[in-house]
Amino acid sequence: MSAGYELLGARGLAVDLNGTRILHDITLAIEPGERVAIVGPNGAGKTTLMRALSGALPAAAGEVILCSEPITNLTRETIAHSIAVVGAGISLPFATRVDDLVALGRIPHGRGPSGASAHDRERAAAAIERVGAAHLVHRDVRTLSAGERQLVLIALGLAQETPILALDEPTAHLDLRHRMEIADLLTSLAGDETIMKTKRTIVAIFHELDLVREHFTRVLLVANGTIIGDGTPASVLTPALISAAWGISPERAARF
Amino acid sequence: MRTRRLAIGGTLLLVIVAVTAIGIGAVALTPGEVIAAIAQQFGISVGSPVSASTSSIVIELRAPRILAAIVVGAALAVAGGAFQSLLRNPLADPYVLGTSSGAALGAALAFLVPISGAAWELGGVQLAAFVGALLSVALVWRIAGIGSGEERIASVLLVGYAVASLLAAALSLVMLTSGANLRAIFGFLLGGLDGASWPRLAAAAIPAVAASLALALRGRPLAAFLLGDEAATHLGVNVQRERKITIALASLATGAAVALAGLVGFVGLVVPHLVRLMVGPDPRAVLPLSAIGGALLLLIADTLARTIGVPVGVITALIGAPFLLWLLQRARAGYAL
Repeated sequence: MSAGYELLGARGLAVDLNGTRILHDITLAIEPGERVAIVGPNGAGKTTLMRALSGALPAAAGEVILCSEPITNLTRETIAHSIAVVGAGISLPFATRVDDLVALGRIPHGRGPSGASAHDRERAAAAIERVGAAHLVHRDVRTLSAGERQLVLIALGLAQETPILALDEPTAHLDLRHRMEIADLLTSLAGDETIMKTKRTIVAIFHELDLVREHFTRVLLVANGTIIGDGTPASVLTPALISAAWGISPERAARF
Repeated sequence: MRTRRLAIGGTLLLVIVAVTAIGIGAVALTPGEVIAAIAQQFGISVGSPVSASTSSIVIELRAPRILAAIVVGAALAVAGGAFQSLLRNPLADPYVLGTSSGAALGAALAFLVPISGAAWELGGVQLAAFVGALLSVALVWRIAGIGSGEERIASVLLVGYAVASLLAAALSLVMLTSGANLRAIFGFLLGGLDGASWPRLAAAAIPAVAASLALALRGRPLAAFLLGDEAATHLGVNVQRERKITIALASLATGAAVALAGLVGFVGLVVPHLVRLMVGPDPRAVLPLSAIGGALLLLIADTLARTIGVPVGVITALIGAPFLLWLLQRARAGYAL
């Protein structure tokens, strides 16, 4: 990548929801291939940050930069070619087979009125294979377990074939083993080369600090609507910062 | 591809049923006679010459009604399928935004106006029903704040229900005071294609077909709505704009269908579900196949209706309701409702 290329970043970003300031003074820059964990207490603004970085929420001040462009200059379609967002969960109104669901991730690549093309079906199948869910292709998504469902949602994001994969709490409601498997999978996905000839960038909201230390290259610690720590897990997840973010005593914080 | 095979098979079946249905009536005609009469209309002679009376029965009396059933069935099924996808609600039907009550009230008021036979023939009631349908949607649109960015799907459905209830109450009042017109109003509520004629068909078919076609061509953004508004945004869809376009087109299709046929129920609810059982939930497959399925269902129902002499709305309810229950019972593996 040429010098000065900025994959994803924010400068002086502030975000309001229903007239209340949720985020303020957010400045960051994410490089291709980074594995970024967004951590912080409930209500700190983690999801809001992810929504703002993916252009789903407007900035009240400052700006979001995607692929070296202010995100406000980009069309929704262009954004969808750069960043895929895996939501915290999904409720489907109709019975939907896993392969049909994952094929919806090809929507930004589609042209014209006809449904998923043979190529789209192929890319969707590859994404399902990549997350190790090939045995689930013909299942109704609504009948899957929480762990299986999360794999399928990640495949849906992968099918979009974007340089950035953002995930909102991909380990929510999962047991210990499934949380570890998801963390392993994300690390492995970050090693893949994407269509932009760079390593895939992972940005994920995570709660398990042990997994964050093990699997992520960088931590954004969000508390009270702004980033209070940004750096390697070792430099950010210190007793002092954990204590400040979650409002627990330094002695207890030292246990995490 | 499965969708394409079903589309081709369905269209062929529709043509066969249509030709057969034109032959059914007080004067029975063979499919050969029907085809010859239609071909003659286009200046092609097929087999023996067609008598003037046969030609008149086929072209003037039966063809408009058959085509009306096809257009109305297709429009209702496409509008229903589109509303179900957009609102993410399997219970949504074409009338979900109050169209039915608005149309019925418009038609009922038109029956009460002492207008001359000419205005009647030109479709005064149909026009009033069309305007009523669109006004009710406009009311829901305004109250629910569609396109403002603040609306919630649940509130759109609730506002639609409230507006429909209000208009239904007004309709009841009109019916109580309607005296001799009560039977005509009741007939509109039950739905029927008895009044189909070439001018009325043309007037309703143009908006109905145009809106249904436009909806079927917009399946790609509509597919993203299956995942919810936020996910649709992340898939590159302008949610606000697509919602406005879809509601406007589906309402136009519904309004035109209701103007032509009154309140025909169940077609718009059941047909898209039947199609989903075969091809999955993607509107890019569901909407075109629903058009064919809706046309087939209403054509068969209307042929039954005119053979045994009951309103077509009664037949669609009699077929549709048990059929929906049956679907719920025996949903196929992977595509359970």
